[in-house]
Amino acid sequence: MLNYIWLGLIVIAILVGVGYDIRDEVVNTYQNGQELTAEIAVMSLAGSAASAVSPDGVLPPGKYQGMLKISGRRFSEFYRLKSADTSLFLQPVALSISGGSAGSPSSQNTLIITLNDATPQFWRDMAQAAGTKTTLTGLLKSFRIGPAGVSLASFTLSPVSFVKMRKITQAAVDYAGTAVTISLGLIGIMALWIGIMKIAEEAGIIRFITKLVTPLTRRLFPDVPSDHPAIGAMIMNISANMLGLSNAATPLGLKAMEDLDTLNQKKGVATNAMVTFLAINTAGLTFIPATAIAIRVSLGSASPTVIVGTSIIGAACATVAGITAAKLLEKLPVYRRALELDPPKDSGSTDQKGA
Amino acid sequence: MGEILKTVINLVAVFAIPFIIGSFVLYGIFKKVRVYETFVEGAKEGFNTAVRIIPYLVAMLVAIGIFRASGAMDLLVAVLDPVTRLIGMPGEALPMALMRPLSGSGSIGIMTDIMKVHGPDSFIGILVSTMYGSSETTFYVLAVYFGAVAVKNTRHAVLAGIIADIAGALGALFIVKVLFG
Repeated sequence: MLNYIWLGLIVIAILVGVGYDIRDEVVNTYQNGQELTAEIAVMSLAGSAASAVSPDGVLPPGKYQGMLKISGRRFSEFYRLKSADTSLFLQPVALSISGGSAGSPSSQNTLIITLNDATPQFWRDMAQAAGTKTTLTGLLKSFRIGPAGVSLASFTLSPVSFVKMRKITQAAVDYAGTAVTISLGLIGIMALWIGIMKIAEEAGIIRFITKLVTPLTRRLFPDVPSDHPAIGAMIMNISANMLGLSNAATPLGLKAMEDLDTLNQKKGVATNAMVTFLAINTAGLTFIPATAIAIRVSLGSASPTVIVGTSIIGAACATVAGITAAKLLEKLPVYRRALELDPPKDSGSTDQKGA
Repeated sequence: MGEILKTVINLVAVFAIPFIIGSFVLYGIFKKVRVYETFVEGAKEGFNTAVRIIPYLVAMLVAIGIFRASGAMDLLVAVLDPVTRLIGMPGEALPMALMRPLSGSGSIGIMTDIMKVHGPDSFIGILVSTMYGSSETTFYVLAVYFGAVAVKNTRHAVLAGIIADIAGALGALFIVKVLFG
């Protein structure tokens, strides 16, 4: 099933991405080649340079710094966005006037907009797609200095196309890196907790914990002997999750999986106990939803812990449903057959690689 | 009540790990376990496990990453929205329910955005933070946990996980509606 989900995620992503990109080309979502008109206040004109401006407002060749002002309403209109944000936003802009009056076809007067915190998401996406990330470049079509250095400029931004395809490419590369970062980051914490668990095993702590919960675990995991180390590791993992100690939970959970695998008759195929354990685990029952509380605090909630009770009830529903589903589904012939040992062709060779 | 709860949560967060490590090691010494050697022996296994999950995690995260980048989520929300509205799920909360099993960072982003717009103490703010708090990143957990033991045929694990996620989201919606709706 993970196979199909994986395939589904990838195929759907690419099809949807292509679809969006074709639509963007057809309706020109990014207004490629369309002139946007906005106010630019040129800063470096304050001093003596102001005198160099010709009476009709044409800037002499050179480089200038300025501030681009666009109202949110004008921006949404231009890009046909539904956004209700009508506030004015300012963007630092660098102008490069290469001579000739701006607007004549021969002149290549450019502007570079530096993105800042006020930049709308739409422009950020465009910059991302253009590959420049922190800036947007464009051509100045016309520019006249009015009184007090403020003037109307009209310009076209560099054309942007196939935004989704570029995003997908970027995401594939980024997430592959993230996966390795996460795994490597686990090394230390894994070593710590598996080391501690080893001490607990040798000292008999795990056996003690295991005995406490035997009535429960015998029903949940009938295939696992009630004094097996896997039980201890699973209980430790579930307890760590309940206390919100996610750093400790993952190593303990992986240890539990390895212990469960020692009982596995058919390597490479999930056992009933593994599935039940993961159903409990992914249901995420926790008494302390620490991340959600921390974010609520940071957003100024008057009662950040109000979600503790509701989260426990939500997760309890998930846990009961997960265990029930795992227990019922394991009886289905399709899933039972996967566990049978005899026919060697059943699920193909599962563990042929070394290392 | 809220204040006491907050204090308890803080205390657990601060003391749990030092307490567990300290008590285990002390009890180990009491039981005459050679704690240092035993620890190192166990720690060696940790390295292998962490490295073993890399390919599984790459496969899963890349698929989820390009799914998020493609904008397919918006499409899925548009398709499911009329259905979930029937049971009283606000349209803004639907992306949260869909993203939660796929990506931890993605669902944190959605939760934060919604609470910024509607306020953390609004109905929908409480709903999304409850949804976040009452579930796990199912696909990440499945990839990592099964990766650690090189299980490729996961049998009914995905189905059971998804059923649990749906039940969790519905349970969260129900209880938040009853208490804060």
